[in-house]
Amino acid sequence: MPDLDGPDLNGADLEHNGVMGRPPGELVRVVLRAPFTRRTMREMGYALAAGLTAWMGCLLVAGLLGAGALLTVSLIGTFIGLLLLVTTLRVALRLGKLYRWTARRLLGAQVAAPAPFRPGKGVLGRVDARLRDGTAWRAVGYVVLKLPVSWLQAYAVSFWVIGAMDAVTPLWWPLFRNHPPHTRLAPVGITTPFFAELHISTWPGVLSTCLIGIAALLAAPWLLRGVTTGDVWLMRGLLGPARLEARVRDLEESRAHAVDDAAEALRRVERDLHDGAQVRLAALAMGLGMAKEKLGDDGEPVGTAQMASIRDLVEAAHQGAKEALVELRDLARGIHPPVLDAGLADALATLAARSLVPVKLSTDIRERPTPAIEAIAYFCAAELLANVAKHSGANKAEVSVVQRDDTLRLRVSDDGAGGADPASGSGLPGLIQRVRTVDGTLALDSPGGGPTVVTVDLPLRA
Amino acid sequence: MQVVIAEDAGLLREGLVQMLTDRGHEVCAAVGDAARLLEAVAEHRPDVAVVDIRMPPTHTDEGLRAALQLRAEHPDTGVLVFSQYIETRYASRLLEGNASGVGYLLKDRVADVAEFAAALERVASGGTALDPEVVSQLLGASRRTAGLTSLTPRERDVLALMAEGRSNAGIAAALVVSGGAVEKHVASIFAKLGLPPSEGDNRRVLAVLQYLR
Repeated sequence: MPDLDGPDLNGADLEHNGVMGRPPGELVRVVLRAPFTRRTMREMGYALAAGLTAWMGCLLVAGLLGAGALLTVSLIGTFIGLLLLVTTLRVALRLGKLYRWTARRLLGAQVAAPAPFRPGKGVLGRVDARLRDGTAWRAVGYVVLKLPVSWLQAYAVSFWVIGAMDAVTPLWWPLFRNHPPHTRLAPVGITTPFFAELHISTWPGVLSTCLIGIAALLAAPWLLRGVTTGDVWLMRGLLGPARLEARVRDLEESRAHAVDDAAEALRRVERDLHDGAQVRLAALAMGLGMAKEKLGDDGEPVGTAQMASIRDLVEAAHQGAKEALVELRDLARGIHPPVLDAGLADALATLAARSLVPVKLSTDIRERPTPAIEAIAYFCAAELLANVAKHSGANKAEVSVVQRDDTLRLRVSDDGAGGADPASGSGLPGLIQRVRTVDGTLALDSPGGGPTVVTVDLPLRA
Repeated sequence: MQVVIAEDAGLLREGLVQMLTDRGHEVCAAVGDAARLLEAVAEHRPDVAVVDIRMPPTHTDEGLRAALQLRAEHPDTGVLVFSQYIETRYASRLLEGNASGVGYLLKDRVADVAEFAAALERVASGGTALDPEVVSQLLGASRRTAGLTSLTPRERDVLALMAEGRSNAGIAAALVVSGGAVEKHVASIFAKLGLPPSEGDNRRVLAVLQYLR
């Protein structure tokens, strides 16, 4: 559950996936420290806050809901009943907001807010829109479910608290047991989190209580984590945006990126033309104009010195024309590489051949993707190879493209220094956005010291 | 003629310097951005400044803003703004109030060296040089087309050349007609547009532009 690891929750490295595969010493250390990490403390705080608010919220909403429903069907109080129902839904939405806020503040868990409510027209329309608001009904569901969930959370916290109390039994035991020899004392009752009371009167009993306490204390963070994770999962489902809504939001976002991307690309082309070919052509036209002037009118003799400067001008103009041609060709290829029309494999072969770092290319494309997908894959490969040449210091790189069913997987890897950071101006965020516009994904794996592997998955059709 | 050049593309800047030096003009300074342009003009007090509109740092309109500032602070220095596109809005701002010692040309015009130099000299001596593109855009954008539609095609040509800042002799040469014929056209245009006849090229341009606006 990476979402539980907020930036400030370093949690002493308790990520479940990281615990396995570590040296046994470290595993022991992690298990022993788990009950006292910041993350555990925060989760306990969250559980306490939930325990305080959950039963109030549940009683309020369930009470209002019951009263509203009864009155609505009673025919006499229908109107008041409907108003009560509307109030219930509004209260549930408010409580949902409060719960989301608590989770964000205490757990660092981001639960997106659902789309805002769209009121209807007129009194009846408003009531109708409220009653049909799925978001609010889901919130009611969560507010009611929150009560049993908070019990589970409280139970997990009790593991910690009671476990701690039991674990320190040997410390206080002697204080109350300094009685004269041969005195018979009643056994002491000890609470455990396992719904069983122990009655102890001897040292072996004390020691087993201590062991039970330690076991409970060590188990507490994991139990707590499980319950909290379940709660956040429930929150995402019931207090977050509905699935369709989330999809719409996602699409809106990626569409905005696509539009921005297109506008930015056009701006770049304009800029390149303005600063490149246009300047070159203007300068070359001016040079030719000057040469023409120096040549004078028909039949006019031209001096040797004049001739030399005319030759210089024409020479420069000729050079400028050739440079303008190169610039225009590069620009056109940047807009759409013509070789892409022959297929992604050919285009990538050309790209690999031009790369400064030697590239080993393998392609396995049986079904040809649509042109948009081919273009995105091509530009991803181009950008990633440019990154390899610029940042990695690699000696060789590998590009592979494999098409399986409805997915095209592009993988670019190098044996360079690794440690690639999407935030450091490598163009990766731009690529991720581009890939997202067609529901693709980009995964970066670049540990310090390398190697760097970037995997781009694209659908076959956009 | 003393000239200061502000153009961020080195290739074109050097070309301009060479071309103007070849023709016997003195290029006091050739700079690449607006701030240094203002400094250079304050220092050298040239007859004319050639100013590219798009320059660093933002590559939008810093050249135009510098040109407007020059016109306010150094009225004796002519300003020839040149750029790769013609924006009617920029032209109107440049010509606001006073059309003397100002020019607005497309960069393409440097290809006709003699004409470009003549336009620059005209601006330096307090005249006007508007790109034919500017004129046609202003003509096209004019809302008061009623008067314009009454002009004959020939008279429209003359009006366009007039707006570029040309003298009657210049118009006659461009249209390959006699000076007398041009004078007749001009008088007819002024009459049709209801403009009082006046002396000098600038007032003619002003009058025309005021009418077109």
